[in-house]
Amino acid sequence: MNRPAVAVLSLVLAGCLAGCGGNQSSAAITTAPLCPAGGGGAGNGVILMAQSVPTAAWVPCIRTTLPSGWGFEMLDARNSLSRFWLDSDRDGTKAIEVRLQASCDTTGATEIASDRESMRRLERVRRVSPTYAGERYYVFPGGCLSMVFQLHGDSPGEALALASQSVGVVSRADLRQQVHRDSDGRIELDPSRGDR
Amino acid sequence: MTTLPQAVPAAVPPKGQGPPAIRRVGRRRRPSGEPPPLPRHLNASGKWWLALSGMVIVVWVVVWATGSVHFFDVADTRVLQAFQQIRTPALTRVAHISGLLASATAIYLLWLGNLAVLVAVRRWRHLFVWVAVGLIAVQVGASMASTLQRPRPFDVEIIGPWSGFSMPSLPVTVLAAFLLNTVYALVPAGRFRTIGKWVVCGLLAITALSRMYLAQDHPTDIVAGVILGVAVPLAAFRLLTPNDVYPVRYRRGRPAHLDVTGSRGEAIVRALEDQLGLLVTDVSPFGLAGSGGSTPLRITVKAAGEGESCVFGKLYAATHVNSDRWYKLGRTLLYGRLEDEQPFHSVRRLVQYEDYVLHLFTDAGLPTPRPLGIVEITPEREYLLVTEFIEGGREVGDADIDDAIIDQGLGVVRRMWEIGVAHRDIKPANLLVCDGRLVVIDTAFAEVRPSPWRQAVDLANMMLVLGLRTDAERVYRRARRQFSDEEIAEAFAATRGLTMPSQLRRLLRQQGRDLHAEFVALLPYQLPPVRIQRWSWRRIGLTLATLIVALLCASITASLLRSPL
Repeated sequence: MNRPAVAVLSLVLAGCLAGCGGNQSSAAITTAPLCPAGGGGAGNGVILMAQSVPTAAWVPCIRTTLPSGWGFEMLDARNSLSRFWLDSDRDGTKAIEVRLQASCDTTGATEIASDRESMRRLERVRRVSPTYAGERYYVFPGGCLSMVFQLHGDSPGEALALASQSVGVVSRADLRQQVHRDSDGRIELDPSRGDR
Repeated sequence: MTTLPQAVPAAVPPKGQGPPAIRRVGRRRRPSGEPPPLPRHLNASGKWWLALSGMVIVVWVVVWATGSVHFFDVADTRVLQAFQQIRTPALTRVAHISGLLASATAIYLLWLGNLAVLVAVRRWRHLFVWVAVGLIAVQVGASMASTLQRPRPFDVEIIGPWSGFSMPSLPVTVLAAFLLNTVYALVPAGRFRTIGKWVVCGLLAITALSRMYLAQDHPTDIVAGVILGVAVPLAAFRLLTPNDVYPVRYRRGRPAHLDVTGSRGEAIVRALEDQLGLLVTDVSPFGLAGSGGSTPLRITVKAAGEGESCVFGKLYAATHVNSDRWYKLGRTLLYGRLEDEQPFHSVRRLVQYEDYVLHLFTDAGLPTPRPLGIVEITPEREYLLVTEFIEGGREVGDADIDDAIIDQGLGVVRRMWEIGVAHRDIKPANLLVCDGRLVVIDTAFAEVRPSPWRQAVDLANMMLVLGLRTDAERVYRRARRQFSDEEIAEAFAATRGLTMPSQLRRLLRQQGRDLHAEFVALLPYQLPPVRIQRWSWRRIGLTLATLIVALLCASITASLLRSPL
């Protein structure tokens, strides 16, 4: 290969290294945090989310294969906050943001009948036109699961339903059991209280 | 139309000076497998770190394939639990403070600070390696973490900030890479760099202890991060910016000038004996001020009888080929078709060409130093061109100029015209006066079968150089003995501003004389200025390509100014 070609390739490579990540953090995770299925355990992304909010009794996960037109964007798990995004070819990128925190501000949200056991559900609609914007909260002991909708498509109902169907939860107790089992009983997900 | 005078016979023939009286010993062919005088190599530590990083990758693959990460989890957990046992509020505060270096803000500042310093000191190669290593370390670390998907430590309370999967520890990987980059790009080799490495070692140890105390990473995450973060910059800097070729230094001096002490100095001595049979007693830089494209050397050798003699050496390295490439690109963009020429693609070709031109000049009777041979220092990267040393030579700008010297200078141009060569760098530093003899040196830019414009420029530049120490009228009068009025008029029509070497322009400015105008005033008539700017498809293409690359670079630079984490 001649030198100009090498130089151009180097520039393109440098450009990719420098810019292909976009605004994405280097620690961002592009593998979907899958719920336990078929006797297998939850994905490590789910365990990481459990570690990010050690008080949360429930941890969100992606339950099924996402419907056509929807895709997993990325997971950002860090101490005290985890969130992942779902993209839609009709409702735009990051149409749904799923967040797990120790608590959340539900001021102005209306509580409605919950579709999840042991959780209170609250809804807040900020705008329905020209685009839909709103939040859904699931509040439970030690944590709050929120879904933030920014839907640019014509039928927000599909995305709102998808959030209910595809975003599942796994209990912390199940995750504890999974870690305990995988380590042959030698380590636990959370520190015992006496160690704190 | 004036009549053409008969040209005076060409340059003054050499007065029979042969090669210096030097003692020659038997030359030795380097057998196959024997390293060259100055081999490129990673030091032992570089090999160890690369081997360690290879081992880390192998361990990762084995652990991933066998699903045996829990063995490491258990071992790491026990270590972290031991740290947890000693936690106190005071120690926790200390750990938070001592771990700040691995925070995103500190790493971003380290990134920006290094970029700023390297741009300020114009150490471009180090800058490119720095940026590439930084980005590669981040990308490789992030990709490995994403592939291995190791959660944060279990069974301990994590009391420090963290983000993403833990193996390898991305902050530690990036911090190690950046700190080592800093040491290799900013600290001169030797004692200071050794101290710098120990400082980095200490900082990494403190950061590692802090992160284990706060249970942010497993111990094995930190070990893997350090190995990866050290191995990549170590290998990159040692291979791409070896100290011998790209030294880090802060004293004044052109970057083209290589350090000829230490291992390179020893290699030069050994290579001169093996390849040319010269017994060298000293190698020292010589006339650095007048040379920007190579490292000129005065090499003291044992004489044939008693005592010592000297030869002259020009040390060329890859940096000089790069400079030549940029120089020629610049000239093509500035001038266009008249300077349309291909750059050299290797150091070997560059040295071979200059050696060839020296032989050509010598064979044509032009007064140049006699070539004595080419010496290989590092294959394809460093070569030494050895010639006769002009003892007692003074730059023409500092010497007394009489009619004989003027005639010799003009005769050189006439002879170059006859054999179809242009020197293209006629300036005071390249014309030496020695015992009443004018010697032309530095033929690296010479061109065979140049354009008539380029030949005319040589004449005007020679007349201007000779006029610096005399006066225009005298030089012009002598010139008319060898050149016609048309030729002189053409020369001054072709020469102005950028076509003169920068040293000549500077000296003219210092004298406060418009020597060019003085010569033009002496001409019986003037020719219209030769248009310098010529456009060709190649020049247009190169200009567009340069603009596109500049825009791409600007875009990349904007991306680089963001945090790498």
